[in-house]
Amino acid sequence: MLDSLFDDVKRMNKRQFIYQVLSFGMIVSSALMIWKGLMVVTGSESPIVVVLSGSMEPAFHRGDLLFLTNYPEEPVRVGEIVVFKVEGRDIPIVHRVLKLHEKNNGTVKFLTKGDNNSVDDRGLYAQGQLWLTKKDVVGRARGFLPYVGMVTIYMNEYPKFKFAVLACLAVYVLVHRE
Amino acid sequence: MGESNETVKINKWDGAAAKNAIDDAIREVLTGDLKCNESFALIDGRLFLCALAVGVALYALLWDYLYPFPQSRLVLIVCVSSYFILMSILTLYTTFKEKGIFVVAKEKVGNNTRIWEASSYVKKHDDKYNLVIVMRDSTGKSREASFNKSFANYIDTNGAVVQTIVTNEITKLYNSLSSEKKEK
Repeated sequence: MLDSLFDDVKRMNKRQFIYQVLSFGMIVSSALMIWKGLMVVTGSESPIVVVLSGSMEPAFHRGDLLFLTNYPEEPVRVGEIVVFKVEGRDIPIVHRVLKLHEKNNGTVKFLTKGDNNSVDDRGLYAQGQLWLTKKDVVGRARGFLPYVGMVTIYMNEYPKFKFAVLACLAVYVLVHRE
Repeated sequence: MGESNETVKINKWDGAAAKNAIDDAIREVLTGDLKCNESFALIDGRLFLCALAVGVALYALLWDYLYPFPQSRLVLIVCVSSYFILMSILTLYTTFKEKGIFVVAKEKVGNNTRIWEASSYVKKHDDKYNLVIVMRDSTGKSREASFNKSFANYIDTNGAVVQTIVTNEITKLYNSLSSEKKEK
């Protein structure tokens, strides 16, 4: 069985094998370049995020897919939903802007809160941090697709499953010709 | 990988696998029995385009890693646009230049260099293997011959390509194309 799986590969000549590897590389690069292209277009370092918690219910639920933009010329306003990073946390947070102070020179500092949380986010910020500034912002929510992100959540909760799926895909692409 | 003469077993109902196996057999006939030299320029061109595209993507990845996003914006714009331009060039190259040609072979006959190009295609859910062989000589004249037969003609019940039948077919085509030349 395993032998026949690699039959295709064994029969390839040098150029066919290189092409096989390159076409696998191109599948990965296409996805990568689409992502980077979205980054450039939206101005956000992560243009699509998945909502991981229920802290923004009923606006967003766990598993919703959010589309973000982060144009520097657009001001942050109270009531907007922002995605921000906090030092020492890997995963960005999606919450609403509660209070905002803006100076004449354009610098802003603001406080956020999850719609479904009873307190504001100061407890979530880094030690001693009271406000967020523009540099903490990953993007602002512009649209969403409900539940599509559940797949991502399952993948992250069962990393073995994720690696298995990825490995299968990689082997399939590398082993099958064209 | 590499040349091997052991019999190849394939699932003949898998159109792509059957096509690849017969393509390989035909290449072997042209470059082996008929003693033509395979020319790799066409496939090397495609490999070069692919490698360039992957290289551009890797460069963008590396640059974005070294200089996180807002700084890398310009480089990303250049890389992303050139990547998609390269992809379109690659598509044009495979559809208009390669056109399913899987082997190009050169053959010296006296002062003449003859170029043989074999291309094949199989329609989806069809068992007909379509082969077109084009011969060009150095005067610029070209002639072509084609056949269109079911996979079943070349692959036995065990799923092995019957090399003798392929050799016969190709030699016949080869001879008819070569001799036509003399008549004119």
